[in-house]
Amino acid sequence: MKKQLIALGLSVAVVSGALMAAAESPRAWDILRKIVLVPGVSGQEKPVADFIQQSLPARLKVQRDDMHNVWFTIGSGQPHILFVAHCDELGWTVDSVTPDGKVKVKPGGGVLPQAAEAHAVLIYTAKGPVPGIIAPRPGYDERRPEGATAQPYTAANFEIVLGVADEKEARDLGVAEGNPVTIKKTIVDFAPGMMATRAVDDRAGCAALLDAASRMDWDKLKGKTVTFAWDVQEETGLFGAAALAKVLQPDYVFAVDTFVSSDSPLESKRFAYMVVGGGAVLRAVDSSSIVPKFELRRVLAIARSRGIPVQVGSSRGGNDGSVFLPGKTVDIPLAWPGSYAHSFIEKIDRRDLEALTDLILALVRDWR
Amino acid sequence: MNKSKFKAGTMLGLLLLFFGWGFLESSDLKTLVKDVFPIPSTTGNEELLAGRVRAILPKGSAVEDDGLGGFAVRLGQGEPKLVVIAALDGYGFFVSGITPEGYLRVDRAVPPPHAQFDGYLLGQPVVISTRYGPVSGVVAQPAMHLLTQEVRKTVVENFSLENAFVDIGVRSEAEARGKGIEILDALTFWPQLTELAGDRWAGPSLGVKAVCAALISAAADFEKGSPAGESILVWAAQTKFALRGRGPRVSLGGARAKNRWRPQRTLILDIVAAEKGAAAPGLGKGPVLAQAKDVQTPLRRGLERSAGAGGMSLQYLAGAETPLLASFGDAESDVVILALPVQFMHTPSEIVDLKDLQALRDLLVRFLKSGGEK
Repeated sequence: MKKQLIALGLSVAVVSGALMAAAESPRAWDILRKIVLVPGVSGQEKPVADFIQQSLPARLKVQRDDMHNVWFTIGSGQPHILFVAHCDELGWTVDSVTPDGKVKVKPGGGVLPQAAEAHAVLIYTAKGPVPGIIAPRPGYDERRPEGATAQPYTAANFEIVLGVADEKEARDLGVAEGNPVTIKKTIVDFAPGMMATRAVDDRAGCAALLDAASRMDWDKLKGKTVTFAWDVQEETGLFGAAALAKVLQPDYVFAVDTFVSSDSPLESKRFAYMVVGGGAVLRAVDSSSIVPKFELRRVLAIARSRGIPVQVGSSRGGNDGSVFLPGKTVDIPLAWPGSYAHSFIEKIDRRDLEALTDLILALVRDWR
Repeated sequence: MNKSKFKAGTMLGLLLLFFGWGFLESSDLKTLVKDVFPIPSTTGNEELLAGRVRAILPKGSAVEDDGLGGFAVRLGQGEPKLVVIAALDGYGFFVSGITPEGYLRVDRAVPPPHAQFDGYLLGQPVVISTRYGPVSGVVAQPAMHLLTQEVRKTVVENFSLENAFVDIGVRSEAEARGKGIEILDALTFWPQLTELAGDRWAGPSLGVKAVCAALISAAADFEKGSPAGESILVWAAQTKFALRGRGPRVSLGGARAKNRWRPQRTLILDIVAAEKGAAAPGLGKGPVLAQAKDVQTPLRRGLERSAGAGGMSLQYLAGAETPLLASFGDAESDVVILALPVQFMHTPSEIVDLKDLQALRDLLVRFLKSGGEK
């Protein structure tokens, strides 16, 4: 009888725990798996901005500008610390529809165009997403003439096939100039806590901020001002951050973004070798900022005091915090280590995302 | 049940669970295509698809093996003996090595269908079929930020299997083997099916899978009743593997089927490149009747009569030269290819028109039932 009671008690505890866990806000990893699929090509971030705004706790007073930058500020006094992650993603926009119903896109995109060749895309129209296939280059299956070199292949060469016969049928599907286009995303789960897909840069940063915003007990915030922001158009030139810099003058900006890691079989380990699964990263040196060492030491001390795994490294790429640098602001980029940046298979480890979220929360609480 | 069949069955079950499909019993063509589409099947690694086809075939079908992984069901009686053959295998890769860091190296059993084929792997999700079930991986691509502008321009052109590394999220060979990875495991593109407008679908190796499904569907039609004559429906393995020796490339799977079932007439169900200029077959215009020489034969006449009686359109392609055709073609043979037109053939997004597929399947059934509308 005693054993049965113990078993019953354990069962109740397990079920209660599961129910309580289910009732909690989703954590960063679960948020990431959703937000990564929401379209938000640079300059067309409304859907992902909507997602972010709807995911924030109702009690937070959220602001949004015409560009779809989303942010909230809470607390008062100094220092004013800003955490910012960009919500835009790499992709293309429809340039024209040909008479035979194929879709051309504007040059650009930020990814290797050849890696998109003969793969599926989604065109986000007013009538909903329309699938298409980027046609392989003409003569893809023919032998190249002796001595001939490969012709340049860029997004301007793309012809997206929809399965329609002419322009009218394409337009009847809703396809129009200016529609955003992304690769049709696939989430590859290596293991329960490791995945690869497109747009992890920087939806992972967005997810970490959303999780931190939900978990933080904002009533306990004293003696400082904190802003969380999700900005736009980072990939095309830090434009969203530049707009934010006109309305926010923080003392510290923690740009939350990818650390472009060389943790892969293809790259030199001379620099940028931050291990995927090794914890959050302090992006001490990149192409847009150098963090003062004494500030790095302060961050590391806070991380150490709370047992948060953090790596320190240098890599390439810019960060949103850098646009605040000409003023009084100190830029300290925080990151998750990611392999295969700006590909369709950006790889992330759950432990790194959780460490990044914990680090954000620790800085909100302890930064002076 | 022997151990290897049990293992294959387990793998197949895991694969179907992994991609969200359950077991079904249906002759609906779209359902059948969706059922077989995600099952990896490359030359020499056809076991899973062969197992699935056998499982779907009408209960009580007497299955005859060819010893290479292919098999057949025999329907009806009487002369002339007709073989209808479809391939089980598409082009793909297999695991050829594991690095000490746990990355997989890749090779293929047959030459690629074109020079661009291997390049489609770079930066893509893939699936490795292991004894424990499917394992997800990605083919490593350099981070864009770490490349110089010059290297960016050539990174794809310089990609080959020599610098292909598959990341399965582990750190050592032991971990990779712990996931079930073994040398020779099939490695294929992620089976992403894209449903386009106009009843067109796209996906890797979709053409071969669609034709395979059409033959299953045709077999299901004869669960009750028989065709007009003796008909042997063959799902052949290793059709992309060529016999060694001088002369035209001859498909091993085709040669095996010919010697095993000794047909008087052979109908090859295959795929053919579509939308490649005005002279090429088009999508949505019906199946393609192809021959090595544009001559009337009893088999061709029978197919044309069946198509006419059924109000079906046919497209024609003369001068066809394929390894499968070469394995059956000789002076005494009556061999015709009935092909599904496929756009972007041998890319990760082969496009087929479901109307063509349905027409191919319906024409086949009509022809088998009537013996060519004699």
